[in-house]
Amino acid sequence: MKIKIITTVCVSVIAIIAGIAIGSVNIPPSSVIYIILHNVFGTAIPEHIPVAHVGIISSLRLPRTLMAFFAGAALSVSGAVMQSILRNPLASSYTLGVSSGASLGAALVIFLGVSLPFLPMLTLPILGFTFGFATIFIVMAIARRFDTHMENHTIILTGIVFALFINAITTLMFALFREGTERMVFWQMGSFSMLGWNTVHILAPVVFVGVLFVAWFRWELDVMTFGEEQAQTIGVNIKRVKLLLLVVAAALTGGTIAFVGVIGFVDLVAPHVVRKVFGSAHRIVIPMSAVVGGTFMVIADLVARTVTAPVELPVGAVTAIIGAPFFACIYFSRRK
Amino acid sequence: MLTLNNISAGYNGVDVIKNISFNVEGNLAIVGPNGCGKTTLLKTIANILPHKGGIEVLGKPFSKMKRREISLNIAMLSQQPSIYFAYSVFDTVMMGRYLHIRGRISSNPTKQDKEIVAESLAAVNLLTEKDRNITQLSGGQLQRVFLARALAQEPKIILLDEPTNHLDLKCQIEIIEYLKKWAKQENRIVVGVLHDINLAIQLSEQLLVMKDGKIQASGNAGDIIAKGLLNQVYEMDVAKYMCDSFKKWSEIF
Repeated sequence: MKIKIITTVCVSVIAIIAGIAIGSVNIPPSSVIYIILHNVFGTAIPEHIPVAHVGIISSLRLPRTLMAFFAGAALSVSGAVMQSILRNPLASSYTLGVSSGASLGAALVIFLGVSLPFLPMLTLPILGFTFGFATIFIVMAIARRFDTHMENHTIILTGIVFALFINAITTLMFALFREGTERMVFWQMGSFSMLGWNTVHILAPVVFVGVLFVAWFRWELDVMTFGEEQAQTIGVNIKRVKLLLLVVAAALTGGTIAFVGVIGFVDLVAPHVVRKVFGSAHRIVIPMSAVVGGTFMVIADLVARTVTAPVELPVGAVTAIIGAPFFACIYFSRRK
Repeated sequence: MLTLNNISAGYNGVDVIKNISFNVEGNLAIVGPNGCGKTTLLKTIANILPHKGGIEVLGKPFSKMKRREISLNIAMLSQQPSIYFAYSVFDTVMMGRYLHIRGRISSNPTKQDKEIVAESLAAVNLLTEKDRNITQLSGGQLQRVFLARALAQEPKIILLDEPTNHLDLKCQIEIIEYLKKWAKQENRIVVGVLHDINLAIQLSEQLLVMKDGKIQASGNAGDIIAKGLLNQVYEMDVAKYMCDSFKKWSEIF
């Protein structure tokens, strides 16, 4: 197990360095390491490294790659939590309508030009997060009205139906307001371009605290995968833990897609790969989902901005193109 | 040790069990036809279902106990759940230590937890399988893993819902005998729902017979059978069926 963990972390570090080094200007990995150390610890940069490289890494690629890593980590951990508490290997925050809600928030900003006073630049992320987050509360409230026990299948079905309803409103806005369609489509497909240190400074602590919070509930998550009745007899306060974890998982997803748009498949693929390689115990699944999800996203972003350079592909499309066959291989090989 | 006073409980506002009252000081076997409320009764005692009436464990009412305290006293072996995620046998049984582990600041298993898990696995003859993936186990082995998990909880009362499902004959007898021994130590009790009348009698001479959500009879198994009370519940001559079975055995040997 230790060897597997060390290998995965090494692959992750290599992917991050590659993500920073490769681009329209290729920068040697040694220079990348020097510049990262300079950014983190303030160490001196050797004279042979061009100032332009320092600028590219410090201002563009380092924040972009870190943003990709944190986004991947957040989506992946959120997916792992949703799958475990809803006991459904295909569940995610998206199933419960978080992305649909966030898309509606984004549509209000892009199509109707809604703008928050004092914070016009952050209107889209704030509304995206608020709508995404509000969706899960509405879904839970509706599910509770139908089923006081909040059974998993009630929550999932309510989430799917409510997501379809919200998607219909967004589609109506597409039909009624043609201006802004292109921007909306690109937002929905996700991207890390145009994101700087300010977004990293907001997302990184949210992801860090969220993942630590989820990791604290590792025992409850383990027990809950055997069903709520079993968890209750073992002593888990199921209603409280389930609500807390659903809210934190939704916050991780909502917070991420508010900045980077809707990026799918990471939340499905990464936890499955982790469970297959490391087993199902959440003391390993949660931290390794963060590492594998983050790494997957860094690689997806690298592919998105290099394969058709200078044209950049939407990262959401890349995660789906890599993720779908990969997921199929993993899923069916396990069934065999 | 376990007292139920006028308990009613069910699902979606409809009572499945009605006005159940009894007091248990030793092992108890609950029998009755399908759908009579046996599992509902166990779930109520395990505090999974909300209920009307009063339940007391060791003289303390549920109303004055937190979920944690109830689970430290009562463990339940349910009918087998679906397994969606692969855990090792050892990790699965360690989940029975949840409340003990969560009661410490570190929230990590200690050497003592690991020893208790190993003892529980040894009790169900699965110690050699501790590193196996539970998705690779047979139904019988899985049932024993969940029993080991209940034992690892170190409860005072174990509730068993069809514990011998999926088990072969030898295993059924071994498990029942082990549970009787377990209960005898430190004055613990086992309350089991069993379809097999023979096994029910082996677990306990005290029977609780249910029908339509109510207690039809309770007391010594011999008296209940002699009075023909099982016949009323199952709507067949149970004693005659048993005797016919033994006659066939005696003809063979």
